[in-house]
Amino acid sequence: MSAPSPGAAELSALLARAADGDRQAFEMFYQRTSAKLFGIILRILIERTEAEDVLQEVYVTIWRKAAEFDSTRASPVTWTATIARNRAIDRLRARGSRPSAPLEEAAEVRDHSPSADVIIDGNREAAQLNAALAALEPRHAAAIRSCYFEGITYETLAAREGVPVGTLKSWVRRGLMRMKTDLATLHEGRAA
Amino acid sequence: MTAREDIPHEDWDGMTVDEALAMDFALGALDRKERRAVDVRMRSDPAFRAIVDAWTTRLSPLDAATAGVAPSADIWAAIEAEIAPAPQRIAIVATPAKPSLWNSLMLWRGASIAGVAAALVALAQVGPTPPAPGVPPEMLVAALAGADGKPLLSAAYDPLRGAVLLTPATQRQDEGKSAELWVIEGKNPPRSLGVIDIKDPSKHVIASDQLKGLESGATLAISIEPYGGSPTGLPTGPIVATGTLRAV
Repeated sequence: MSAPSPGAAELSALLARAADGDRQAFEMFYQRTSAKLFGIILRILIERTEAEDVLQEVYVTIWRKAAEFDSTRASPVTWTATIARNRAIDRLRARGSRPSAPLEEAAEVRDHSPSADVIIDGNREAAQLNAALAALEPRHAAAIRSCYFEGITYETLAAREGVPVGTLKSWVRRGLMRMKTDLATLHEGRAA
Repeated sequence: MTAREDIPHEDWDGMTVDEALAMDFALGALDRKERRAVDVRMRSDPAFRAIVDAWTTRLSPLDAATAGVAPSADIWAAIEAEIAPAPQRIAIVATPAKPSLWNSLMLWRGASIAGVAAALVALAQVGPTPPAPGVPPEMLVAALAGADGKPLLSAAYDPLRGAVLLTPATQRQDEGKSAELWVIEGKNPPRSLGVIDIKDPSKHVIASDQLKGLESGATLAISIEPYGGSPTGLPTGPIVATGTLRAV
């Protein structure tokens, strides 16, 4: 793992205090992280009320699991984002299908290409990951982004793309393995 | 979908079945049943969990592309209301004279889950035994069932953090009662290690002299007592969980 940013260190400290039952610290943690987590959940669930319901669940879970957080293994942002993503996906699976969003909205939601400001402002890891994705077949990269951002199954995406499930899985898995190799090479290059 | 005949073989850039499953899960592409299966396996298979964690970390920078959206202002109030009455977390900080004994999983068995109060009991040891250099310490986990075969607790020991995390399968609690932790050594009467007060999120400290002389084979037990703990110094209420300290 790369060195934690000052923000991560502060968030870790707030989590540690929350683990000791400090609700004020937890409120500060919420104020600083909730918009990010809500964005992640909303992207998967689309429906705002349901997304807020899940957001509430997520923070209650974070509060209860705060003592399990280990800053040497994950950044607080990654740790909480993983909880948020998994909860949102579980909710989506329980629901069965996404609500039919208006066409315009759906198109907006499905545009997963990183915006310019993200590339400029985003951290180095994000830039590297996006570069590795950009090196893949555009359709394969798009499939990876769709699965990640929408939380949809291979089956759902295969149906949408009009390709056999096996084909889609092959795109995604080969793409991810190649991405993994590229990232590893980058990291080795930096270490050398 | 349950069949995984599509799982690639060695010719896929060295991708193993587990790696494919881990990336599918981290990506969020599995269906409900498959997700549950992965979730269960992660709890009992540290090596597999590590693969999933690696993929989660690898993909997480993608979240940088997701713009933040402010939730409604009343969400925090709802969260606060939920966590205020009884934070479902207790940490017991132990300062054992013989740390090695705590380097084992405590296996709990109980005939009943009634009244098991804590949602999460953490037995943390101050100053964990440092792992041998170059050898990544193994996380030990166990899923524990009661006499009726139903899951009662899951236990995990993390040598890196020196903590044993017990997660009961129930969050039920008896109002006005306290859960008390006991140790039973040989033929001696039960000795109290203190009340596990679910109303109080502060850390319970077990004095090191209370843990002195604890040996593998000693029995740990949790009983349900009147509020504040046993009035007699011995368990008076039902024993809801017992287990033997074992060196693994």
